[in-house]
Amino acid sequence: MSDVAAPLFRAVDRAAFAVALGQRLRAVGVPVTSTALSALTEGLAVAPPRTVTALYWLCRVTLVHQPHDLATFDRLFDQVFRDVGLRLGGQAEGPDDAALTAPDGAEHQPTLAPGPQEATTAESLPWHTLPRVTGSDEPAEGQALPELMPSAVDAVAEVAFEDLDETQLALVGAWLERSLRRWPMRTSRRHRVVPGGRRIALRETLARSRRTGWEPVELSRSRAVLRPRPVTMLVDVSESMQAYSTAYLHVMRALARSGRAETFACSTSLTRLTPALGHRSAQVAMALASDQVTDRYGGTRLATNLARLLASRQGQALRGGVLVVASDGWDSDEPELLARAMKRARLRAHAVVWLNPRVAAPGFEPLVGSMAAALPYCDAFLPAHTLRAVLAALDVIVQPDVPGGRPLTTTA
Amino acid sequence: MTAAPPAVPPTSADDVRRLLDAQDYLADEGTATAVFLSLRLGLPLLLEGEPGVGKTAAAKVLARALGVPLIRLQCYEGLSASEALYDWNYQRQLLAIRLAEARHEKLAESDLFSEEYLLERPILQCVRYDGPASPVLLIDEIDRADDEFEALLLEFLGEGSVTVPELGTFTARRPPTVVLTSNRSRDLHDALRRRCLYHWLEFPSAARAIEILRRTVPEANAALIESAAQFVGHVRSLDVDKAPGVAEAINWVAALAVLGATSLVREDVLATISALAKTPDDRDLLAEAADTFAFG
Repeated sequence: MSDVAAPLFRAVDRAAFAVALGQRLRAVGVPVTSTALSALTEGLAVAPPRTVTALYWLCRVTLVHQPHDLATFDRLFDQVFRDVGLRLGGQAEGPDDAALTAPDGAEHQPTLAPGPQEATTAESLPWHTLPRVTGSDEPAEGQALPELMPSAVDAVAEVAFEDLDETQLALVGAWLERSLRRWPMRTSRRHRVVPGGRRIALRETLARSRRTGWEPVELSRSRAVLRPRPVTMLVDVSESMQAYSTAYLHVMRALARSGRAETFACSTSLTRLTPALGHRSAQVAMALASDQVTDRYGGTRLATNLARLLASRQGQALRGGVLVVASDGWDSDEPELLARAMKRARLRAHAVVWLNPRVAAPGFEPLVGSMAAALPYCDAFLPAHTLRAVLAALDVIVQPDVPGGRPLTTTA
Repeated sequence: MTAAPPAVPPTSADDVRRLLDAQDYLADEGTATAVFLSLRLGLPLLLEGEPGVGKTAAAKVLARALGVPLIRLQCYEGLSASEALYDWNYQRQLLAIRLAEARHEKLAESDLFSEEYLLERPILQCVRYDGPASPVLLIDEIDRADDEFEALLLEFLGEGSVTVPELGTFTARRPPTVVLTSNRSRDLHDALRRRCLYHWLEFPSAARAIEILRRTVPEANAALIESAAQFVGHVRSLDVDKAPGVAEAINWVAALAVLGATSLVREDVLATISALAKTPDDRDLLAEAADTFAFG
């Protein structure tokens, strides 16, 4: 850097400067704590910036604490210190500064770039559904519900999602959210002192022996605590899934509201919906989500999007978690690609659950190329075409611990 | 461990850059500023970035450059106060009780919970360090510890102190130099972020990558390094499972140099691909890339 340059702010109230910049940042949504402001004030004193780049780094290191705020910070900084015609301290913007463009912050977030748009096969979808055999027995189901449902919800429990209207869907959404009290768990490496635990807790035992004259009479025991597994749900919102996508959006919202799940919608591109669906109001959440998914009811690129999900930062959260894919398996990508992505997902996740509303159709067999390719990597393959079926699916998602051999559970 | 401690602590970001440079760590302006501020303001530094971008190396090199010991705390799930802060030596305490009984001596509680029976773990060790300059404490991959552990760190990160209920609060004489690293496999709590300076490390630019390789693999020649750096940059732009970091690039060039390669040719890339590709899919992809990449 230019060694001879004079400090930028020689006669400036450093505290006032820091606070003003902090307020601007807060105004654009970057949370700035007072600790950060005092760090910047001190930083301005111990390392008086001589160039705009130095000032940039000083402010960025002290004020920004979240990688996703970096892009906003860069924009504001450019606005305040670079774009405005005012020349700081005479020679602030030296030639090297002009060359050194703002270090990019936008690249930190995994970019989910939209894939090429694709034409969809329009009206009739070639479902590989076997002709119905006359006199075949209906899938007699004795699926027990986890708890009694309010009668209003009970009325819609058996109605296929495609036949539900707006208000019924909202009712279902609210009810789903309440019924998600259970969650898939795993044992953690952390131990807690509990009676009847398996390990002897030395620290606690000795502390207790104070009461018995330092004789460890009572052995305290500890046991591993349970912690929630992450759940990731990927819903296909392509044209063939149109009838179900709204209902699944409600399922995703119930998951997203729990704060332990990541939700994605995919058709030709992948959209992360977790922040949008996390909104308190169901209507706002749904509106936000629909705004974000720009390519609804288009084609499907399931394999590409699954691979993209695995490569994204949220894909790391899949480790040891449960992956739920809701799709009819009608994919315009090659089945081999889907098989490869599913294999990777299966290696990474604890369990993979596939929801396919078409499964409920009598005589359905998963013969569509992609579905057949994906099936070997699924731990469970479920219909989820009505509320009752979704509840059954949630039960499997909550308790996916199919031990050992992982038999393929098909309920249809 | 060869470097003599600098007579005066660094007085500017450029100073830090020179210090790290002398230890063959090429920091950019952002990293140097972050490290300098962390040293001067006595605030912990949180480094985030892709795996293999040089986060851990930064802390190690900083300790070497300052000529102070490095205390390292590797985080893992279930890490608790007794592994990170302090623990009591229960076996010795029990023994002391038995001895006192055998000798018919009186034993007060304060006899058992004295510093004699205290086991220092990395953080307390750092707080009680008694040297001419404060050590560098590296809390590595904090995202691997569970969120309960972050709460344990807050007192130390904020005040540089550790409280042992039976003994009182230990406070560091000088604010310790703390570097935390995270791979962002989960989001850290805001309470932790608030107490730290934050720096996101980028992959180095092509020119700096070449410079880094030249320093770390002196036996490789310039042409090899240049084309290797280009190839690694090209690979990062592909859809790979695990983008090769700086560490992988260094290992790869070292592997090429060991094989006696003087320029990058397809056969050598295939022979050393294991240093660069870390999944079977990536290996196939890189082999393909090696076929199409214009060498030289």
